[in-house]
Amino acid sequence: MKQLKQVLEEDILLKVTKPLRYLGNEYNAVKKDWDKVKLRTLFAFPDVYEIGMSHLGLKIIYGVVNEEPDYLMERVFSPWTDMEEELRSRGIPLFSLESLRPIADFDCIGFTLQYEMSYTNILNILDLGGIPLKASERGDEYPLIMAGGPCTCNPEPLVDFIDFFVIGEGEEVTLEIFDVMVKHREQRQGRQEKKELLKELAQIKGVYVPSCYEALYDEKGKYKGIKAKMPSIPSKIVKRVVQDIDKAYFPLKPIVPYIEIVHDRMMVEVLRGCTRGCRFCQAGMIYRPVRERSPKVLLEQGEKLSENTGHNEISLTSLSTGDYTCVESLVKEILGSFEKKNIGVSLPSLRVDSFSVDLAKEVQKVRKTGLTFAPEAGTQRLRDVINKNVTEENLMEVAEAVFGEGWIQIKLYFMLGLPTETYEDLDGIVELAHKVLSRGTKILKEKGSNRRPTLTVSVSSFVPKPHTPFQWEAQDTMEVLRDKQLYLRNKIKDRRISFKYHESNLSFLEAVFAKGGRSLGQVLLEAWKRGCRFDSWSEYFHYNIWREAFEAVGIVPEDIANVPLNYEDALPWDHIDAGVKKGFLWSERNKAYSGVTTGDCRFDSCSSCGVCQDLDVSLVLRKGE
Amino acid sequence: MDMRLCLKYSLEEEGCFLSHLDLMRLMERAFRRANLPLAFSEGFNPHPRVSFASALAVGVTSEGEYLDVQLRENIPIQEVQKRLNMALPSGIKILESIAITKRKDSLMALINMARYRVAISLVELVSQKEVDFIISRVISQTSYCVFRRSKRGERQVDIRPGLFRLEGTVKDDKLYLEMDVQAGSQGNVKPTEVVKMQRELSPAILGDNLNIHRLGLYILNNNEIKNPLEIS
Ligand code: SF4
Repeated sequence: MKQLKQVLEEDILLKVTKPLRYLGNEYNAVKKDWDKVKLRTLFAFPDVYEIGMSHLGLKIIYGVVNEEPDYLMERVFSPWTDMEEELRSRGIPLFSLESLRPIADFDCIGFTLQYEMSYTNILNILDLGGIPLKASERGDEYPLIMAGGPCTCNPEPLVDFIDFFVIGEGEEVTLEIFDVMVKHREQRQGRQEKKELLKELAQIKGVYVPSCYEALYDEKGKYKGIKAKMPSIPSKIVKRVVQDIDKAYFPLKPIVPYIEIVHDRMMVEVLRGCTRGCRFCQAGMIYRPVRERSPKVLLEQGEKLSENTGHNEISLTSLSTGDYTCVESLVKEILGSFEKKNIGVSLPSLRVDSFSVDLAKEVQKVRKTGLTFAPEAGTQRLRDVINKNVTEENLMEVAEAVFGEGWIQIKLYFMLGLPTETYEDLDGIVELAHKVLSRGTKILKEKGSNRRPTLTVSVSSFVPKPHTPFQWEAQDTMEVLRDKQLYLRNKIKDRRISFKYHESNLSFLEAVFAKGGRSLGQVLLEAWKRGCRFDSWSEYFHYNIWREAFEAVGIVPEDIANVPLNYEDALPWDHIDAGVKKGFLWSERNKAYSGVTTGDCRFDSCSSCGVCQDLDVSLVLRKGE
Repeated sequence: MDMRLCLKYSLEEEGCFLSHLDLMRLMERAFRRANLPLAFSEGFNPHPRVSFASALAVGVTSEGEYLDVQLRENIPIQEVQKRLNMALPSGIKILESIAITKRKDSLMALINMARYRVAISLVELVSQKEVDFIISRVISQTSYCVFRRSKRGERQVDIRPGLFRLEGTVKDDKLYLEMDVQAGSQGNVKPTEVVKMQRELSPAILGDNLNIHRLGLYILNNNEIKNPLEIS
């Protein structure tokens, strides 16, 4: 029998695209002795290598676990369809990158849930590994399957498949979980009793074990919430949050991939959380409160990262880096120390209101490509509804600064289908785009430049998300969304404006899986059986198959996406406590409908969202450091 | 003081799947990690002064690749090699390095020959004598045309003049071909093309399984074969 490695090298890898997706061995990859550790775990990213490897969460968890001598963590990604075919036709089970072992050999597999449309890939990974999909069908001999990441704030569509979920930030709780697993085994001479172990895990703060709860329904079959089966199990699962991110683990020796990945650069995490309070934004609600890293720590981390990776670009990441209270001095200092080494600095996610001319100048030194801003809505009225505290004046100032500093391209992001939206708001998008463009033209002319500015208008569709003030909202139907897209397309006439929009079918399914409950597990299984995977890749997204899957299990997806909910309704994610209180969300929703904005607690008073009060954390700002 | 170096390196295991672009990125990073200051080109979009001798087909391993690099500082050669090797991932290794003293031209412009070893599975046992006979049949051809596809459509190329040497040995259940073929800016003869020729001219003894390994890159001049380090 040929070893897997030999089969790969001789028979398989030359036939698939990007063979280096499957081989590991990258610089800084951690290879541990399988027999010398107490627990073998696997980080599973349900998308391709290039996307998974760009993800900061993977780097953090991989690092924090592998720092522990007793644990090892390896990686697996969704194999691309050509590789899947090779594996299936040869009967080779899916294997980890580091040791090329079948994924079923691991003690625990952790999936990260970054977007709803990756769920079929989870099922596919399990199946390719020869692991039964349903948690109830997996005996003690199979790995425990856990899941973390932002989508766990409504884990219900996945409860059939996942043994337990981790809610909130993972760097501390992951090790607590593994400690419990090891202790459990040590007490049983290495054996594991899954049922018992899961009960023990359910005691850890932030861990949700679906099998410890039962779902309740009323006489009409309407969902009423879940109830713990035993008194020792908490009725609500409270998210984990790290108070001091200066002290929190940060990966300074991340893997340097052989092939080009999506974000092929070093990353420092400047701050966590965002309290701007945009009412549609889930990240802005679930990652509260804002905690900034000190500039000193960031500079040290940047220095170490550059020594350990050799990357020629560093990205200052966060939900909104322009909001960092010391952003200008940080950017100046980082540029100062990296410029001579020919290392560039990139600032993703700049916000219109925090972008200053000074910052523009600093960024311009290193980045000549286009800049992106997200006013989200076309009129002040609608921007007030969604609490996007950006004015037209802000945007014009930014445009002036940006074109004045020599950029000729700007990208503007908008969202269609926001609550209360009318066609006047759509006209507002068109007007805004034209104004920005003509301002740019004027500025460039004044500067004596003969180049002409271009603009990209990119519109996505509003998806109501759990744990946001708009969690009760209905999504526009696909027909309405399509009409709106068409309306915009016809109104934007200027050839220097390119107009981009998202597939409305996909946004619809996103809404269904964001808001839906546990019954969606059947749909997922059905869709996967019929061949769905890589749904977020347009070439593999088959809406008609999804429709068939819904029909087969008798669920009408429109009932989930397009119907508004009431305050009294039991929400599928009510047992998940992300810190921000339901009452606060509801009052924000009501303020939205009366067009009243809410300030940012970093600069205004605390709006009592509940996070700091209940979770024993607080804002951390570094101004003046 | 800038210094120019010529490095000989190998690509083994996963290293053979690196594309040319992957390799360029990887080298720049390795130099940075090794704290070896690369010289950069001037201009709007500075890029490091690293130039490779010849691209290697994906899936082919090698023990004789070369690159030129310019550093901004004078650092002892052995030191460069040692530090670089510690900073490289497992699929690639620096084997030799020297300071460039006399050579002016780029490796790309000079190299005109590549040496390969190709292992082919055998479907039936053959003797060395039979192999020698088959090889002599290949050698005795005066021309052999293959079709190459390019962006401008298919075109016919005679590869026989670009096949300089061919030898074969049988070991276990494999035939090992060693060949010197034309490479570089004047054109490349691919080892797979030579194998194709071999297949057509021999009885059906060759299996499908191919393993191609590049042994080196050379400068062939008046019947004299030199490696890039010798002329640098
Ligand atoms: S509790 Fe107050 S200070 Fe803390 S995140 Fe919420 S609004 Fe901000």
